[in-house]
Amino acid sequence: MSTTSQKHRDFVGEPMGDKSVTSLSGIGEILGKKLEQQGFDKAYVVLGQFLLLKKDSEMFSEWLKDASGANSRQAGSCSQCLTEWCDAFL
Amino acid sequence: MSSLRSKTAKEMSDLLDEYEIKHGPVVDSTRSLYERKLKEAMAKGKKAKPSPDQTYYREEEEVTYEYRTPDRSDGAGDSGSYMRSRPAWSERELEHETSYSNYSRPKPEYGGKEFSDEPHMYDLPPTSKSPYLKSTPGPPKEAPKAPPSSRLVPLWVQFVFFVAVAVFLYLVFSSMETNEPIKGIE
Repeated sequence: MSTTSQKHRDFVGEPMGDKSVTSLSGIGEILGKKLEQQGFDKAYVVLGQFLLLKKDSEMFSEWLKDASGANSRQAGSCSQCLTEWCDAFL
Repeated sequence: MSSLRSKTAKEMSDLLDEYEIKHGPVVDSTRSLYERKLKEAMAKGKKAKPSPDQTYYREEEEVTYEYRTPDRSDGAGDSGSYMRSRPAWSERELEHETSYSNYSRPKPEYGGKEFSDEPHMYDLPPTSKSPYLKSTPGPPKEAPKAPPSSRLVPLWVQFVFFVAVAVFLYLVFSSMETNEPIKGIE
């Protein structure tokens, strides 16, 4: 069950730089807007939150669900995306 | 629980450690998440916290009981049931006491690892026929091994069912060849 989407592969394949939050796997327009409203306007800010939660996937997923209304699948996808990005670049 | 809001970050952090919730720094963006986690952990009560070896106790509906000691009370002794930890916990334990007040025995699940040196002391009231999975030496009055009715399906029912299946199979085999005794079944 770990097939990854193109979006995931695009994100994980390179440093995120200034990419917007919607470039994260699992985060589309609607979720992206909600995150931006809370100040998470760039992917690296969400990364910051992920790191604050000590890169714990579950915690991060829960936070994301709370903060943006993501469902489990989306939150898990984003979580996995960030985890792999960190493994590669952090 | 609004009292969570008034805790300092350090206190929150300590609380999270108490519940063994892995956590990062308690800052603005993480605080509400941790508050929620703590609420859930408290709502589950301390029975969710300790070891997974929990026994199903017949007398209570959903209670699990462990063999661990109830004896020690580090905190204020007045709430009686399972005050064994830091005094800072007393308010929480008092809240839980109401929900656990029907247990006449202490519930020592909290902070189990602190009491690993006393694994076999407990004062169960004599009505206990508690089955428990971990072997405890001496003190239990009941045989720890085989509680009389811990099965979902009673033993005699299992025997009857087995015999019925055997009879059925016999009939099936015997009807395979007419007028002949069963061959091939020794």
